[in-house]
Amino acid sequence: MAEEKRIGLSLAETLRIAWKAIAANPLRSALTALGVIIGVAAVVALTMVGQGTTRNVTQLLEGLGTNLLTVGPAQGNRGPGGGLVRAGGPETIPLSDAYAIQEAFAEEVVGVAPVAQGRFQIRSGSTNFQATVVGTWPDFAKVRNAEPEKGSFFTWDDVTAKRRVAVLGYGVAEDLFGTDDPLGQRIRINGIPFTVVGVLPDKGDQGFVSTNYQVFVPLSTYLQRLARPEAGEAKVNTIYLQGASRDRLKDLQERLTRFLAERHGLTDPNDYDFSVANQQDALESVNATTRTLTLFLGGVAAISLLVGGIGIMNIMLVSVTERTREIGVRKALGARPRDILAQFLAESVVLSVGGGTLGVVLGLGLAGAVGRALTVTPVFSPGSAVVAFFFAVLVGIFFDLYPAWRAARLDPVEALRYE
Amino acid sequence: MLLALKGIRKVYRMGDVAFPALKGVDLEVEEGEMLAIMGPSGSGKSTLLHILGLLDRPTEGEYVLMNRPTSRLAEDERAFLRNRFIGFVFQAFFLLPRLSALENVEVPLAYAGVPPGTRRRRALELLERVGLLEKANNLPNQLSGGQRQRVAIARALALNPPLLLADEPTGALDTRTGEEVLALFQALNREGTTVVIVTHEPHVAEKTNRIVRVLDGEIVADERRRHG
Ligand SMILES: Nc1ncnc2c1ncn2[C@@H]1O[C@H](COP(=O)(O)OP(=O)(O)OP(=O)(O)O)[C@@H](O)[C@H]1O
Ligand SMILES: [Mg+2]
Repeated sequence: MAEEKRIGLSLAETLRIAWKAIAANPLRSALTALGVIIGVAAVVALTMVGQGTTRNVTQLLEGLGTNLLTVGPAQGNRGPGGGLVRAGGPETIPLSDAYAIQEAFAEEVVGVAPVAQGRFQIRSGSTNFQATVVGTWPDFAKVRNAEPEKGSFFTWDDVTAKRRVAVLGYGVAEDLFGTDDPLGQRIRINGIPFTVVGVLPDKGDQGFVSTNYQVFVPLSTYLQRLARPEAGEAKVNTIYLQGASRDRLKDLQERLTRFLAERHGLTDPNDYDFSVANQQDALESVNATTRTLTLFLGGVAAISLLVGGIGIMNIMLVSVTERTREIGVRKALGARPRDILAQFLAESVVLSVGGGTLGVVLGLGLAGAVGRALTVTPVFSPGSAVVAFFFAVLVGIFFDLYPAWRAARLDPVEALRYE
Repeated sequence: MLLALKGIRKVYRMGDVAFPALKGVDLEVEEGEMLAIMGPSGSGKSTLLHILGLLDRPTEGEYVLMNRPTSRLAEDERAFLRNRFIGFVFQAFFLLPRLSALENVEVPLAYAGVPPGTRRRRALELLERVGLLEKANNLPNQLSGGQRQRVAIARALALNPPLLLADEPTGALDTRTGEEVLALFQALNREGTTVVIVTHEPHVAEKTNRIVRVLDGEIVADERRRHG
């Protein structure tokens, strides 16, 4: 029959009718869209803040040095910060291990920095306070990404000669000298005079990992003058190593563990008096945690979006009932079931597209506000915004299918007799 | 023959109670006829007209429209016939309240896929024909009862349907407006449109050339006359 050729309403026309119906009831439409707006905004804001956090932590850990391996005391007696970022507790690693590693792994390890540290009185003129003093080797600058912004790190020459030279963390330099140039100045550590040869850049106030409140001196000088003199072999808290290749870091970590076990004469891993930590592991575990958290929060937000969808369904059911007469008239005038279906679906599409767009915009604002409160720079990923947007539209369509279907199969005469 | 009803029964069910509104109606209508359906309130006139307009389905019997048994039509085909072949004027007008007079007349044209420009021109022509050109942009609630009725008629005529069905088209109108509406129907009938009018009023029925009388769901008389 001829109706095969029938075009019916164009998309633009269907949308125009939908818009008219929405505009006829502005408050109700706005409230309906609100569920979608809030849901999308929550998804967008939470993923943005989550990704911002992940990026922060990643940058933080990468700022500690690339391809970093940390040899510390055995797992059981690690300090609160973990062997990775804070060398604390008793000095348990023989310094000779550092030399041995340097020799045995010359090809694969591009930097070795044993570290011994403690808290000491720092003084210059009338200013004095406690700070962490770190005795280490010149490689520290490279291995831990701590190149001075003023002056330079101390040299091997300084280590061999046990010179009293110091590199200051940004905050220490600022507290001691204010705007004056610290280079060449004299400071006293535990009363012993040192000459400032370098100042590190501002690493930000990132808690336990910042070098801002640390002072670096040659390890030899530290062990002789600052560490409590102890009989026997020289020991350090930690040895930092920089691997030559990122891909082989895992392999290096394992071989290093075996090497040290052999040196310490240990066979059972349970007895190991040291541990070798891989920065990559920490990075991955932190990332996995934030990813899980982001997914979880995103899921909660998605559920709120679903609730928004149920709101749409509720309103559309009411709307279908209210407009029973209109549906009957349209059918009497030649509307096919699919025309009615399209008309009602178009309404929820317009609502959810509008709500989704507003939701993305609101989400951006919300992410900014939450980010400022948590001092996290939110990362805008177009991907998650697009996903949230289309999810909203899908939810809108899905929850409107039933009301629209009810409208489409209404019997015209029933609809016309409806009071 | 334009249409034929064969043994049409319509039973309304309300729980356990079954009410037969039509009890076996046979009726044949030729192309170009103008006929009135008369009968007391509740006799089944509207029910009959709804079946003729493909708005309702009979419980039993066959309705043949232009040689097509309508019981076998798919819903889309019924919609197509309602759109192109049948113009329906409702007793209570049933204009769409949010659309202007002009937009109301455009609705069937839109479902027929007539492009917007042509549609608007055609709708204005129709409004002119029913004398409502200057009210084209009024909403239904800004029109008088008679004006609404005329918009409803213009809408029913939008696609030049060969069959026009009107349920008490003059019931809500004063005598003069009623006469105008009838004159319009007569003019359409002269142009070839088949017109079926449900009415209470003998003076309306007198204008037609055939009167079908319905009582308690049955046709009790079928009077043909030379001219209306
Ligand atoms: N949906 C329905 N359910 C039950 N009974 C119905 C239904 N529709 C109509 N009826 C009954 O069918 C009978 C015929 O109704 P119909 O509307 O056809 O009457 P009518 O002849 O048009 O009356 P009027 O002149 O008052 O408009 C009435 O008794 C009515 O109560
Ligand atoms: Mg009636």
